[in-house]
Amino acid sequence: MSEPDLQITKVEKTGPYVWIQTADGSIHEVEKEVASFCPLICHEIESGVGYSKDYPIALPPRVNPAMLSLILDYCQFHYVAGHSNKERRSFDEKFSHMDTKRLCELTSAADSLQFKSLVDLTSRALARMIEGKTPDEIRETFHLPDDLTEEEKLEPLKNTTDDPRIRLLNRLYARKRKELIDRQKLKNEAEVEHEDDRSVDDLLSFINGKDGDSKEVRSSKNKKKSRKKKNQPKNHPPSCSSPNGNASSNTGNRLSLEEEFDDCDIDDEIDPALKEKLDREVEDFARRLNSDWPERMQEILSSGQERGPGPVSSTAIDPSINVQE
Amino acid sequence: MANSSGQDIVSDLPQSIIEIILTKLPIRDAVRTSILSSRWRYKWATLTQLVFDDNCVSQFNDRTATENKLVKFITRFLFLHEGPIHKFTLSTYYLQSSPDIDQWLLFLSRKGIKELVLEVGEDEWFRAPSCLFACLKLTSLELLRCELDPPPEFRGFSCLKYLNLQQVLVAPEVIENLISGCPLLESLTLSYFDSLALTVRAPNLKYLKLEGEFKDICLEYTPLLVVISVAMYMTDDKTEHFEQSSGCNFDKFLGGVPCLEKLTGQIYFTKYMSIGYELGKVPLTYDHLKLIQLYQVSFEDMKEILVVLRLILSSPNLQELQISSSSNAIAASEASDLNFWETDCPTGFTLKKLKTVKMSDLSGVPHEMEFLKFLLKNSPVLEVMSILPGIYVSCGKLNVVIELLRFRRASAKAEIIFIRDQM
Repeated sequence: MSEPDLQITKVEKTGPYVWIQTADGSIHEVEKEVASFCPLICHEIESGVGYSKDYPIALPPRVNPAMLSLILDYCQFHYVAGHSNKERRSFDEKFSHMDTKRLCELTSAADSLQFKSLVDLTSRALARMIEGKTPDEIRETFHLPDDLTEEEKLEPLKNTTDDPRIRLLNRLYARKRKELIDRQKLKNEAEVEHEDDRSVDDLLSFINGKDGDSKEVRSSKNKKKSRKKKNQPKNHPPSCSSPNGNASSNTGNRLSLEEEFDDCDIDDEIDPALKEKLDREVEDFARRLNSDWPERMQEILSSGQERGPGPVSSTAIDPSINVQE
Repeated sequence: MANSSGQDIVSDLPQSIIEIILTKLPIRDAVRTSILSSRWRYKWATLTQLVFDDNCVSQFNDRTATENKLVKFITRFLFLHEGPIHKFTLSTYYLQSSPDIDQWLLFLSRKGIKELVLEVGEDEWFRAPSCLFACLKLTSLELLRCELDPPPEFRGFSCLKYLNLQQVLVAPEVIENLISGCPLLESLTLSYFDSLALTVRAPNLKYLKLEGEFKDICLEYTPLLVVISVAMYMTDDKTEHFEQSSGCNFDKFLGGVPCLEKLTGQIYFTKYMSIGYELGKVPLTYDHLKLIQLYQVSFEDMKEILVVLRLILSSPNLQELQISSSSNAIAASEASDLNFWETDCPTGFTLKKLKTVKMSDLSGVPHEMEFLKFLLKNSPVLEVMSILPGIYVSCGKLNVVIELLRFRRASAKAEIIFIRDQM
């Protein structure tokens, strides 16, 4: 390019060193030829600054001495003739393998010096650290605070990506949200007496073996309204007897629930550890809910008989339990 | 590689740098940064350079499902995007002509799109919707496998500098009007057209690349043209071309390009240029022409040799010449007009700047050898002449070398490098 030629002739005229002052006040004496390849410094030199210690080139605040030396290393290697392209590329590779803090600082410094090629190199290195990693890994690399509120995280990401991992996250968060809501309701219920304002439908389905995940069932029932009722026969585990039985049927229900969430054809690659944890949490919750099951059962049966037969759909759910009087 | 201080520095970088970083990621990864932290939630949404391709979505065997996913991805992305979009590239095998693409283009036309690349589908050709012609801020347009039919009121893209059309179905007048309607056009590439007859009027055109079967090209007004690259195919029935074109093709093509610096011609280029040669006028001098590359020149056709000579002799500052021959010594008939080189060839002409000559696919036919002799005799500063024999020349190689040795060289520095076996 013609620009370096221009620089070199200028070098011959006015001596080989320039003085540069960084933001902390320290003044550095630098080879002019090398420093000139940084656009901002070059510009300053052209306007007559930097020839003596008293009038050094003042660099923008983002450039501290450590960064300056890195930048000069870069200039030194790249703009001095005699290195093959391969050598330059391997230098770039090594150069970009510094820790993230320094890389960010260097990018910032290069940007303030309008040093496009160096900005490009460091940006590429930073992009490499992001590409293909999970969000947790990226947060760890860059020390990002995991500060999206539960709400924000629980909002299914409206953006675009159909990445299975994001869909999984959505699903898990949706489940977690339900749990949170359920726990809240449980708390409320514990304060109020076991006043049940569920519809008869729900009660019947509660009886009919959607053991424990009554609230989940309600939502799943809602979902069913918009979909086919094919899941109903599946949600028919043996009638509840013991907490253990409840626990297993919970998992059974959980699986069918997952099918509901499966709006497309994506494989459920839930992390097994996470799945286990959630399973356990749901079990706990279910157990808590079912701890007063026998008393409930009495109440419901008595109230059910008073009200008479339920709507058609509930009898269709489980013919084995006869609600007719 | 984490640092020990645990400070979040990267989020403090200016948005312009964050955008540079995000632009270097595949778009899917860029969008996923939205769940990293609260500050990163919408950093991706102001990206101005978008590249969508088949890697944006996980792919399934069911083509329709993948297509739907891709459509959903792009639509939702655009819906959530904020600010201008300068560059949009869509390169996909899955999408065919679809109403979604039309909507995206309408959206882009409202977002100040400047650079657009569309490569969609493989079976059907995508019909460019009229919204494309409403993107008046376009500076760069690249279309592949597309049908162009601009509305009658379309006057051209007044900011367009770069145009690349490949396998585009379009009426010739439309292309001509398009070119004329883009006064700032600097680079034009037309590939894989069938039987195109084109007159080019482009006052700012600097780079021209043509590839395909062209019936007739006339560079009527292209005064600033610097680089020309042509790969010209012809139909089998070559006589058809002889009848159809009128006038001298050489003049029509190279008659108005005084600033030419680099010329590359392939396949049937020299044959095309030789049509109507005898009708040629006084040749233009190409003072800036430094590099000439002519491939597949038939040294058995006298007219093609004349075209090559004319080009060389009209370029006083020529520095490098690369020629490949399409002759075949085995099939060559007796060379006629060999005394042309003695009698009619212009003499007293030196190629004062010619330093490098590369001749490939040499088969040793007499005209080829005479041509090399001519070059060696008239190039006082020649440094290197490389000769690569054609693949089919097996026993004739030694003869070629012997002949070459005899030729007189005007340049004391000239090295003749005979490259034996490439395989």
